Amino acid sequence: MPDEPYNPSPVGNPSVLARRNWWQTMLVKFIGKHTPKCREMIRILSKSMDEPMPLMMRIKKRLHFLICCWCLRYEEQLRYMRQTARKFPEHADEASDAEFSSEARERIKRKLEESAR
Amino acid sequence: MNSTEPHTASNWVDEHGECLYRYALVRVRKPEIAEDLVQETFLAAVRGYEKFGGRSTERSWLVGILKNKIVDHFRKLGRETSFTDMEFLSDEFSEKFVPVGFWKHGLGPHEWKPEPDEVMHRREFWQVMRDCLSMLPEKIRVVFTMREMDGVPSKEVCSILSISDSNLWVMLHRARMALRECLEMNWFDKTAEEKT
Repeated sequence: MPDEPYNPSPVGNPSVLARRNWWQTMLVKFIGKHTPKCREMIRILSKSMDEPMPLMMRIKKRLHFLICCWCLRYEEQLRYMRQTARKFPEHADEASDAEFSSEARERIKRKLEESAR
Repeated sequence: MNSTEPHTASNWVDEHGECLYRYALVRVRKPEIAEDLVQETFLAAVRGYEKFGGRSTERSWLVGILKNKIVDHFRKLGRETSFTDMEFLSDEFSEKFVPVGFWKHGLGPHEWKPEPDEVMHRREFWQVMRDCLSMLPEKIRVVFTMREMDGVPSKEVCSILSISDSNLWVMLHRARMALRECLEMNWFDKTAEEKT
């Protein structure tokens, strides 16, 4: 099946460019054709959290974001998850009700005292 | 005691023991292993107290030591566990995309509010994050938590768990997709509904 051009409805589409007039329609189709599709873009965005993205891909990403607010949000949300995940360990007592038994507590205190001698 | 007083170390157990234990349990899932890791953390903290220097809070310092202990635990385990099994890796949320590969508009990522600084003070958020993490398959969860919670560089994660770069990227991508979806559905969408 040949690739259909990217031709999304502007209704309910908050992207910067969204077929609101003839020029926008041409630009949206051009950018849609020459940048990775969203499914591929989110894979690239995830990889860029682990290693630097090449310059050409960074440019394509910026162009793609003009026509796709969802991929832009996806990238923001990857950063959001990283920022919160890094803080999770310090808030682990709020995240769970698992009981740290008094036996374990006392055993560890005894070990600490023994190591002090 | 080498570098700190016994009563100080004992206070640490009362003040931070529960938090460290619960984090260790989220990571290793077995209570006896989690307790051992917490014990090793406190013993290492006592030995290295002089290096602490008060640059961060006591809790972040202890959490930092625990993270290293957890990484060591998985390093030992990595030699025994095969990470080649690509369980869970076939699902790509295909229903969210039109056949050509762009997002279906109604199904793309929603806006996330509030900002991370605010959400970090909400107990319910951390509970949802824990539940979402627990839904990830074991191996994917280990890779994701080591990379994103412990902040281990990706090359090191590959070496600790004996996996290739490309496997790591695939696993992280699937983990991020699944976690994003779960957090959106169970936290951000609900919070937005409550406000309206």
